[in-house]
Amino acid sequence: MSINRPLPIADLDSVAWWSAVSRHEFVCARCTDCNVWRWPARAICGACGSMTWEWQELTGNGTIASWIVNRHGFGGAFPLPSTVVLVRLAEQDDLLLPGGWAGSADGAGLSVGLSVVVGFEDIESETGDSDHAVLSWGPRDG
Amino acid sequence: MSGTHPFRDRTAIAGIGRTDYSKNSGVSTLTLALRAIRAALDDAGLATSDVDGVACHRVGDSVQATIVAQSLGIKDVRFHLDLFGGGSQSAWTVGLAAQAVAAGVADCIVCWRSINARSGFRMGGTGRAAPDSIEFQYQSPYWFATPPQQFAMYGRAYMDKYGVTSEDLGRVAISQREFATLNPRAMMQAPLSMDDYLESRMIVEPFRLFDCCLETDAAVAVVITSTERARTLRQRPVLVSSAACGGGHTLYSNGRDDLSTSGAAQLAPRLFDAAEMSPSDIDVAELYDAFTPLVLLQLEDYGFVAKGEGAALVAAGSTSLGGSLPVNTHGGHLSEGYVHGLNHLAEAVDQLRGDAGPRQTDGAEVALVTGQPGYVAGTSSALILRADK
Repeated sequence: MSINRPLPIADLDSVAWWSAVSRHEFVCARCTDCNVWRWPARAICGACGSMTWEWQELTGNGTIASWIVNRHGFGGAFPLPSTVVLVRLAEQDDLLLPGGWAGSADGAGLSVGLSVVVGFEDIESETGDSDHAVLSWGPRDG
Repeated sequence: MSGTHPFRDRTAIAGIGRTDYSKNSGVSTLTLALRAIRAALDDAGLATSDVDGVACHRVGDSVQATIVAQSLGIKDVRFHLDLFGGGSQSAWTVGLAAQAVAAGVADCIVCWRSINARSGFRMGGTGRAAPDSIEFQYQSPYWFATPPQQFAMYGRAYMDKYGVTSEDLGRVAISQREFATLNPRAMMQAPLSMDDYLESRMIVEPFRLFDCCLETDAAVAVVITSTERARTLRQRPVLVSSAACGGGHTLYSNGRDDLSTSGAAQLAPRLFDAAEMSPSDIDVAELYDAFTPLVLLQLEDYGFVAKGEGAALVAAGSTSLGGSLPVNTHGGHLSEGYVHGLNHLAEAVDQLRGDAGPRQTDGAEVALVTGQPGYVAGTSSALILRADK
């Protein structure tokens, strides 16, 4: 399913990440000297100062760090209620990514620490092409 | 540490000025800034020709500092500062100006915040573009961009970790409203009950309407000069005992994983050390309150109570009128108005001069004034002020 969402506005440091997401690939920059993950991608490692890194695939597993349920539109044209989650990635405790929630629009069933798995939602551009995607998290069973 | 910190009490706030607070000022942010500055100079007994420095913080929503300098007729601007950032920077704008005066860079600096936050640039959206920050690309596709949403994300994590309830948040709003009813400037004058709070509509869970600050058209300005000079002027000086900035984690990784402790916890020890004080020395606290949980969080992170105990302090009445640590004695951003931290500073000055009327904290000699505790923009800042002896 694709719906109209604000398109991601990538910069030169993030365009490759968004391209991966559009292919439904979930990657993160990782220091090739100390192996610490860097989110968002940056030219330098905040842990060791190294300038070398590469994109590496993530498991897509994480836990809910927090979530919000929008009940007011703030002047924007978005559905109410709608839920946004903040996910702590399994790879490293300080990797926190916002994303959409594939479950109930009012966030029913969410709790801090809930195990989740990444998914993707295609966004239609104005020309109707589905050339963008965003993260859409869902519960991870088992 | 030995000896007195070189910055302590060397500079002073010599004057404060405020415009009217409204929902539609009908004038530019430049005119608002100039009105507040004129009022602050009058308060101090200074002329525009005495000013040689200008400082403000803003997020692309207000006039540039150097245009204000030009308007004031300053021919040789010895200090100027346009700090990018929201309320987290409010105390640092003033702290940097005071440090510049202490260092002899300038003699008399005006600091202000001017914003048409209701009629012009609403933080909560109404279709304006996302703030100029590369981090928003990771949020905006999920319709996740406004401050209430951002702070709700942190607020839930904090509430979940420490078992903080909606009623705990409501008591913050109610206590501040009580102060506002004693403040003729306050935009919100009607008393607020717990039922009113709980029945107010949900904005973004877990926040109700009364968890959120106001949006106000206003400017507030202060005049910073040397303590020596301030003692020759019209008002009793309020000394800048210390200023600090710190923290740096955002919704995105910066090597920290705890969403329930803010950057204030990092700067607080430096702030108190530089003033040669401890939290028990603070008589009145004006804590940045864009949203209710920030008050509880800062009571903990500035060391007034242990983590998780902020709600109990508020429930005990300690932060209310007549309590041991009155907090946001003007009503704060929740009930007085939203001038991005500078109205908190002006209130602290009123309290330390003994000018706060029915909401005066008896014997207030030392005040803590804080910026937004560091969420969203990462860093935070704060000032310790004291009445001149």
